[in-house]
Amino acid sequence: MTRALWQSFGLISLATVSALLIGLLYSKGSADSAAQDQQPIPFNHAFHAGELALDCRYCHRAAHVSPTAGIPSLRLCMGCHQNMDTTQAGSMQTLLDHWTRKEPIAWVRLQRLPDFVYFTHERHLAHGLQCKTCHGEVTRMSSTPRAATFEMGWCLSCHQQRGASRDCLTCHK
Amino acid sequence: MDVKRRTFLHALGLTAAGTLLPGCDKEIRRLVPYILPDDEIVPGVADWYASTCGECDAGCGIIVKVMEGRAKKIEGNPLHPVNQGKLCAQGQAALQRLYNPDRLQGPLRRTGAQAEHRFTPVSWDEGLPELADRIRHTKGPVIMISRPLSGTLADVVSHFIESVKGSLYFYDPSPELPLRAAVRQAFGIRDLPAYDMAEADYVLSFGAPFLEQWLSPVSFGIAFGRMRQGRKNRRGHFVHIEPRLSLTAASADRWLPIRPGMEGLLALGIGHLLLSDHRSSLPAGRLPAYESLYGGVSLDDVAKHTDISQADIKGLAKSFAEADCPLAIGGGTACAHTNAFESHLAILGLNSIVGNINRPGGIRRYQSAGLATHPKVPWLSERRIKELAQALEETDQRPLLLLYDCNPLFSAPPTVPIQRLFDHASYIASFSGSLDESTVTADLILPDHHRLETWGDHVIGEASPHRAASLVQPVVVPLFDTRGLGDTMIDLTRRLDGSHSGPDSFPQLIKDRWQRFHTSHSSRAHEPFQSVWEDLLQQGGLWESTVTEQRLHLSSSAANYQPPQFDGEAVDFPLYFYPYPAPSLGQGRGANLPWLQELPDTMTSAVWGSWIEINPATAQAMGIQQGELVRIHSRHGSVDAPAVHYPGLRPDVIAMPIGQGHTDYGRYAARRGANPMTILAPLFDKKSGALAIGATMVRAEPLHVPGHLILLEKPGTTAGGGSDLISIERPRSSNART
Repeated sequence: MTRALWQSFGLISLATVSALLIGLLYSKGSADSAAQDQQPIPFNHAFHAGELALDCRYCHRAAHVSPTAGIPSLRLCMGCHQNMDTTQAGSMQTLLDHWTRKEPIAWVRLQRLPDFVYFTHERHLAHGLQCKTCHGEVTRMSSTPRAATFEMGWCLSCHQQRGASRDCLTCHK
Repeated sequence: MDVKRRTFLHALGLTAAGTLLPGCDKEIRRLVPYILPDDEIVPGVADWYASTCGECDAGCGIIVKVMEGRAKKIEGNPLHPVNQGKLCAQGQAALQRLYNPDRLQGPLRRTGAQAEHRFTPVSWDEGLPELADRIRHTKGPVIMISRPLSGTLADVVSHFIESVKGSLYFYDPSPELPLRAAVRQAFGIRDLPAYDMAEADYVLSFGAPFLEQWLSPVSFGIAFGRMRQGRKNRRGHFVHIEPRLSLTAASADRWLPIRPGMEGLLALGIGHLLLSDHRSSLPAGRLPAYESLYGGVSLDDVAKHTDISQADIKGLAKSFAEADCPLAIGGGTACAHTNAFESHLAILGLNSIVGNINRPGGIRRYQSAGLATHPKVPWLSERRIKELAQALEETDQRPLLLLYDCNPLFSAPPTVPIQRLFDHASYIASFSGSLDESTVTADLILPDHHRLETWGDHVIGEASPHRAASLVQPVVVPLFDTRGLGDTMIDLTRRLDGSHSGPDSFPQLIKDRWQRFHTSHSSRAHEPFQSVWEDLLQQGGLWESTVTEQRLHLSSSAANYQPPQFDGEAVDFPLYFYPYPAPSLGQGRGANLPWLQELPDTMTSAVWGSWIEINPATAQAMGIQQGELVRIHSRHGSVDAPAVHYPGLRPDVIAMPIGQGHTDYGRYAARRGANPMTILAPLFDKKSGALAIGATMVRAEPLHVPGHLILLEKPGTTAGGGSDLISIERPRSSNART
């Protein structure tokens, strides 16, 4: 092969690698992918929110008063679970083990917005939005994939439909 | 394949960035909830707690943003009378002291020789009895050197040292001792008076760097703002006299680069003119004393020695005499010479001549909150260090040294035999929170909490028109196995007494005292204390706007002016050396905080290091390039630092910031820059014994190698175009386009 061919081959592979890396950078910076729903305990939203019909805010208690919805404390889980038969499911034993060891469960974060976005649950709930508007029919999902892209176009289309502010500074403070 | 170096580096950079990403990713991809929920914590919602800043001794009020139990941001407390919601960079950076990776995480005992710096962790139950035992059986005197303390903590520490018949000294690298001594002589008071700058309309500052780090810079900044722009149709005029164009000088209407050490002589010249050409407001009985003080100088001499023309001196005297509220203040460089005490008497006297004592816009004194009862603690001046070391060596007494949050081995020059005092000690215990140069010599370290983890209070002194005392409360749970100094002192007292009397704990003591204080002082004395206490904590302290002014009385102004002494013959050492505290690093205390290291120096824009400032004309004559490493020699040693060509400096002066050159004190401070204190001569202000830090003569030797100098802006380049930190691509000029 001639030197020129080698050179262009080298350049093309460098460009490919760079493109992949830049792509990786981009995807990391934006909202998260659903591919990593490997929780330490296979928590089932369909069962808790659907079958048992627990209100979302029973566990995500901070949603209506805070930017973040909050993750239930271990004691809240144990409020129901401490008197249950753990032989039904192995995962319930895992939960009990955490409680006995007084070790928090490190859940995998699935819904995350980049740092440059200011989002608050409080405002959205105060305007009467339902959890499922953004998070989908969680009551029917056993695992919890991301229901929407959580990218700017998606946010803006909803803001437009509902006549909410589309000023840059509303979300990028 | 012909890969250019540049292409290879680009690819390497990208790959490195790619490999780092998963690493950063891990932490933020986890959601770790509480095991037991805290009812007072709403995730994502901040709580703000009021407290008092401890970075310097001004006692500014702060509010701390706490989220999920972690302190996230510090701001000024808008309700606090000292800083009214403002806060300086050092106060903001206190957060990095809390989370500093080099903070001591628990008690340590030295193993091996002092120079090895090896320590092993011990428990408090081992450490406290060991120290109590050492104190009980020490043959030499107990000497405690502490940063200046205030309020209840000062009382507890004083009481402890009294109970073991020891001596307690406050040590601060720049406590303005000559000024304090002069105030004592002129007005007969121990504390500094208040300079009512906000109401003044002509401020004559003899070197006082009040917009940088002098006394209470945030409150001075507010007062200065009011003097300049806060009053309708009245803008105060400000003249600053200093050999170097400091930040304060740069804010002045006029900067007069005086010859170092001649501040007092200039004040005498101005006073002379005030008495001879203008009307004095002095009572007739006092006039002769002032006439003898100011009358002995001739204007020719003053102009010749100060390097300020007769016309300028006459102009200053005229403006000062004609102003409604003139105010003369001295500090900083006016405290840096062997004649500092006499200089300050001459400067303070100017105020007396024009009669602006006890007047708005003048020098005043207020009644301070009666919370503290501790006896006045003496300052450890550099001459005192020398005398102590000599006395102990002569009597062959080996002292037991206790250290708290001060670093004399770094900030006192080696020519003051501070090292000998430490070497001579039989045992050293430190209560400091980090391994600085002094604490690293300790046999035992019982680290104090960070200010944000502890209880305390601070009394705002007589220099404030508010009878105020502010509270320090823990805003976070202590991160490590540290213990508040107050509790350590109470514990030690008990161990040594063998009794169980006295307060249960330091927080309880604070509360009890505030209850007594409140009952005797507050307008809400009839209300139940618990609800008042909660309000006090929420507000950050107690302040009453009713001003109780105490009258200042002129006692004596008699002093014979002495010319300053300098160390080094002019032939060998032709330049004045002018070390000044770097505004952000606070005499080196801030050097372990990256936020302060990366904060560009306001005048040179240098970051993360030391430099020397040299006038471009002098530099050219000596062949010293910008950024070139220069060795500064004095009779006592040498320091190396890169040169910054600085036009705002007298050609016969070399200036250098103090704060860098640590050998210990954590990863951010150690082995960075050079410490100018290491070459200073042991000359003192005669009255107060403070080190005359401006009294050393030096010579500069270019080393012909580039130094490590990083500037945010390079002098002489087009606006914003030259920087070591930022590169800005500018569009080509219109000529190039066409």
